[in-house]
Amino acid sequence: MHSFPRPQELHLAARRTPAEGACPECGSEELADYRVLSEGGWWDVRKCQRCLHSLAREAAPPFGSYTPLGLEI
Amino acid sequence: MLGVDIGGTFTDVVAVRDGRITVTKVASRPASPAEPVVEGARRLGVEGSTLFNHASTAGLNAVITRRLPKVAFLGTDGFRDILTKARLWRPPDAQTDASWRRSFGDSARPLIPRYLRRGVVERILADGSVMTPLDEDQARRQLAVLERCSVEGVAICLLNSYVNRSHEERLRELAREVLGDLPVSISAETSPLAKEYARASTAMVDVMMKLMFTTYAGELDEALRGLGFTGALNFADCAATLMPWKDALEQPFRIVFAGPAAGTTASARLGGALGEKELICCDVGGTSTDVSLVVGGRPFVNDTFSLEHDLIINALSTEISSVGAGGGSIVSLSPTGDVLVGPESAGADPGPACYGRGGRAPTITDACLLMGILDPDGFADGELRLDAGLSLAAFEALESRLDVHERIAYAYRIAVHNIAEEVTNVAVRHGVDLRDFALVAYGAAGPMLLPAALEQLRVKRIVIPPHPGLFSALGLLSTDLVYYDSRSAYMLLTPDAAPRIAEMFEEMEALLRSRVAGAGADVVVRRSFDGRLYGQSWETPLVAVADGPISADTVAAMVASFHEEYERRYGNRFEAMPVQGVTYRVELVVAVEKVDFESMSTGPGTREPAAVRTRSIRYFEAAPFDAPEYDRAMLPAGARVEGPAIIREGLSTTFLCPGQIASVGRLGEISIEPASRS
Amino acid sequence: MTLIRDLDNEPFAARYGCDRFTATVLANRYRYIVEHVCGQLLTAAFSPILRDFYDFAATLTGPPALGYPTPAMNNSILLFTGTMTDSVRNTIEEYGVGRLEAGDVIVANDPYRTGTHVNDLLFCRPVFEGGRLAAFINLKAHQLDMGGIVPGGFSLTKRNVYETGLVLSPRALYKGGEPVRETWSLIFDNVRFGEILFPDMQTVVAGLGLGERLLAETVERYGIAAVHGAMSYVCDAAAERMSLALEAIPDGEWEGEDASDCDGVDDTEEYRVHVRVVKRGGRAEVDFSGTSRQARSAINATALDAKSTVGAAFKYLFDPRSPFNSGTWRNIDIVLPEGTVVSALPPDGPVFLYYEQSQVMLGAMLRALSQAVGPAAIGGDRGTTDIHNASGVHPDGRPWVSAAQMGGEPGPFGATSNADADTWMLSYQANGIAGAVEAIESDVPAVVLREEPVADTGGPGYNRGGCAVMRDSLWLQPTDHNLMSLHYKRPSGFGVNGGGDGRNGGVWIWEPLDAKARRPSAGADSYRDAQPLAGVLHPETNAPDPDGVFHYPYRQSSWHTDPLSVLRYVNRGGGGWGDPFEREPERVMIDVRDGYVSIEGAARDYGVAVIGDPESDPEGLAIDVAETARLRGGRGRSDT
Repeated sequence: MHSFPRPQELHLAARRTPAEGACPECGSEELADYRVLSEGGWWDVRKCQRCLHSLAREAAPPFGSYTPLGLEI
Repeated sequence: MLGVDIGGTFTDVVAVRDGRITVTKVASRPASPAEPVVEGARRLGVEGSTLFNHASTAGLNAVITRRLPKVAFLGTDGFRDILTKARLWRPPDAQTDASWRRSFGDSARPLIPRYLRRGVVERILADGSVMTPLDEDQARRQLAVLERCSVEGVAICLLNSYVNRSHEERLRELAREVLGDLPVSISAETSPLAKEYARASTAMVDVMMKLMFTTYAGELDEALRGLGFTGALNFADCAATLMPWKDALEQPFRIVFAGPAAGTTASARLGGALGEKELICCDVGGTSTDVSLVVGGRPFVNDTFSLEHDLIINALSTEISSVGAGGGSIVSLSPTGDVLVGPESAGADPGPACYGRGGRAPTITDACLLMGILDPDGFADGELRLDAGLSLAAFEALESRLDVHERIAYAYRIAVHNIAEEVTNVAVRHGVDLRDFALVAYGAAGPMLLPAALEQLRVKRIVIPPHPGLFSALGLLSTDLVYYDSRSAYMLLTPDAAPRIAEMFEEMEALLRSRVAGAGADVVVRRSFDGRLYGQSWETPLVAVADGPISADTVAAMVASFHEEYERRYGNRFEAMPVQGVTYRVELVVAVEKVDFESMSTGPGTREPAAVRTRSIRYFEAAPFDAPEYDRAMLPAGARVEGPAIIREGLSTTFLCPGQIASVGRLGEISIEPASRS
Repeated sequence: MTLIRDLDNEPFAARYGCDRFTATVLANRYRYIVEHVCGQLLTAAFSPILRDFYDFAATLTGPPALGYPTPAMNNSILLFTGTMTDSVRNTIEEYGVGRLEAGDVIVANDPYRTGTHVNDLLFCRPVFEGGRLAAFINLKAHQLDMGGIVPGGFSLTKRNVYETGLVLSPRALYKGGEPVRETWSLIFDNVRFGEILFPDMQTVVAGLGLGERLLAETVERYGIAAVHGAMSYVCDAAAERMSLALEAIPDGEWEGEDASDCDGVDDTEEYRVHVRVVKRGGRAEVDFSGTSRQARSAINATALDAKSTVGAAFKYLFDPRSPFNSGTWRNIDIVLPEGTVVSALPPDGPVFLYYEQSQVMLGAMLRALSQAVGPAAIGGDRGTTDIHNASGVHPDGRPWVSAAQMGGEPGPFGATSNADADTWMLSYQANGIAGAVEAIESDVPAVVLREEPVADTGGPGYNRGGCAVMRDSLWLQPTDHNLMSLHYKRPSGFGVNGGGDGRNGGVWIWEPLDAKARRPSAGADSYRDAQPLAGVLHPETNAPDPDGVFHYPYRQSSWHTDPLSVLRYVNRGGGGWGDPFEREPERVMIDVRDGYVSIEGAARDYGVAVIGDPESDPEGLAIDVAETARLRGGRGRSDT
């Protein structure tokens, strides 16, 4: 997205999408998909919500949700 | 002539007569510091000596331990916290440490507690005009409080007193009126330089040193006279230059820390005799290695000196960088298993494990002993027997996945590496190319560690001076009397600035000359200034100013020299920017007698020296190898030794690495070059 | 995985391409290299903002094949640390790895790509070894101006990207050692003070050259395999240290919040930062959900700034004495909704005072983690930089500027288990050298009248927070004052472990009376005849009062004063640590003697009765033991 209107809500929340499966470390079925910023930049992760183990980590776009228009040409 | 170097543990006295050096060591006595000096002088004899040059770290030790006289500070009302604010910055390694505190701040250990720092109502502006006259009644009330607190001395620093000192002078009169005849240092006299913090802390340290040294110096002089001494008693300062003791008491902030800079001076003198003008000086002691530079034949000097982080005084001082790696440095392990050396040290007591005095931690001395470099029976002139079993036990006790022989090898290599990195750092910081430099290796532990750094450092060669363990003390006998004074005035260096600059230089020179009246023709005047590019907030110090009358041309030359010096120090020139002068300085150098390296004798042996015996060197390379051992006293000028080899002398051991070539020069110095270049 | 210290020699060498000795040596060497790059800039830069406020940082970054690890960054400014681990990669990838050649310098400054603000220009220099890309030496350095509607850029009223300044996407400043004229021109045609930027930029490039030379020597000596292996080693070691430190505290979830009072448009909306920290074993997650939407003027920060501050908070609490590198963040995930005040997006989420959000984020993080670490908690500092800028024109027509000299720049730290805090510091995430009063007065037509701590403002505690600093200045000529303070409604210097909060201050002006300057006293009754500019103040006395009225500082975009006006800043006290009633009465008495606490404050905040007159007889003070016991009511200690 190149241009971003000011959000209407006063306070914002990150979205976590519940995911199917079980954590190989702790066995919990409380898994979720979401985006995080960490070593190496932005990642789309599937993480256990109980022990924070990452089941998957895929590189996300370099600036998160922002894509300069020039880069779409 | 004699030199005395008073450190925390020992007082070393060195005498040189007809090229022969004698030494004695007396335990220091902080409670009556003059006694060991007199005792040392008595042992070596002072009759007929022309010089007794005195260096002491007592001032700095007193500051660091806060065993200081009770002194008050008077500042402009609203600014009594100059001394706790300092320059604000914290050291880089405390960037994420919330518990870091300024060591001399009010929440740590102030040199003067806040209630003894009082504000006086008055205000002078940057142009010297008086905005608020000195309120004498209010000042008397503040002095009455100090009288009630029985202070021993007073330091005074009022804002902008470097342009107009009238309020400070009047306040000193009032202080004497109320408090009686006690030492008072006013900042406009001790160092009339812009920037209130350094001026205030210089005045504070000055009055403290007056209280510490005045009685001491008088007693010492009297005692020496009692022993038949008829020469001159001089005190060395932070740049290892000398002042007659009575002059030193006029500016005692200069002598707060004297001693280590003497090694740099000795290096410069030795370099002069050898025709080497570019030297990097490396003093490897028990707890640390001090690195300093000689450029163009002169020690590299700064215009300020730091007693602790950001506790600065306006004193010319030899720039010395330290790294915590020396013979007594403790070997330990990081949480991730790295071998670390220092900064903790086993010191002299208990000392390394091999001393057998209860030290349990392995040190670099232990590593050198286990490697076969040190002789268990020949350490410190044979006065101390070293126990390799204790060294080995200490290395074995480290919790590490490494084999014990790897721990020893790594410890030695890390120590050598840390010293080499500090040498490199000093070179990079000053933008010098080490290939043009000779490295002078001294301090008792220097010759056993530094040759191993030769390949990494890429210096021209390593020079091990005669008597490396005493070399610093010899520096006290390698130096001149220097009187200096300075003034600040912010002004753009344009032709119309000439009269004002001339006035300042003339005033300072007249003042200094009046103090050396009678010294005759042997007086050299050195002028310099500290300037900045207009808009900068810091100065480029010690830019040379030509002799002779100051004219518009001189000012133009000052600007040109500034750009030269700026480029030399920082690598850039900004000639389009106007230059602003800030501080103007005069040094008056009076030559005195010095040690003569030329006359020092070298060994009586033959050019093809014979080894005393052969030693096995372990852990330096994958497999042990044999190294012949030589007695340095038996190596004459012109002798050549090929590494590996050990060269032994009373207080020191040189370890020549495989392939390196050592040759003995005409002054008895050992010069080491890497194999590839010989 | 085996801990690094438990690795035997062979697995160590297999993992890191060198032995332990070489890895240790190279770890040091990387740090020296970045320190030297900065040292060069520090000594040779022209601008005071670089030299005095350390507004720059250098890093060494590994090649793309290793995933751009950052094994070394120097400790000059914490605010840059988290951005540079990512911005170098982003910049190089966007420019194109395949286009790089030896002697290039690539620059970029877009806050949404590289963090911080447009004035911070990132310079990256690729280092080649035998034709292969070996590493990058990078410097990010604040430039005096980067265009936009406000000279120098320091303003929180700018409304969008177009007003904040020139945005540079990644491009070459040098190509194969030759300057790229169109890039230089793009910059100099759009910025002010080009004559000063030019030497600063030359110095930066010289510093990069020094770093390149030192790295090349290192590669020559140790080989590329060891150099790259040691990069991984250094980052692994930092990740392991952080992970072990996290494991040492109990698992849990903790929340913390802090806020800015307003933006530069009006005071209808507060901007809060909310964090929820979840810790499990050696891992942590920081979720910013609940944080306010982005502001309408330039007080926002971006995601990489959030990353910096999260890293700083963890370092402060868990690994304070070792340097940062990219491994610091390995076991920490940050969850950040888009478009918040700390993850603003263009064009309407303008960024300039990003560092103020860094302070707010750190406040929220430290509050959350203080619940996790027990005695290791640290009190809040003053939580804002309190920078003041002023400008005017000399009678002869020359313009003058006073930047960050006369506001609330020096202030307190919060207390720790270790000891009381200092009063004279910059904030937790900044560092720098304060200008001398005499140097300032020789340049600027102003006179500093007072620089003193205010008694009783430090958060009371077993260890006391540093006190707020009062600074009064007299302005000799007509002056426009620019304020940048955003934090008065709640205490920034929060107390921990039972310690009290520090007190907030404000900003005031006294206009001259009958053409004469007024000389306000330092007392609480001095504010009545002042004009309040900022603070939460008592409606009648105008003195700071937590129950008072908020004065919105930006009701004027700048404040004009006539000659001989007096400006006063009082910043904020730092937080206390531990129960003040546990503080030894002797230490309370010393604070009274030294003027950090009043006799009334000693009784009220510490339950200690001190008798005597600290002003006229400081050594005659005494503790009334019986009264102290009564005040403390059996709580704490009453002996000395």
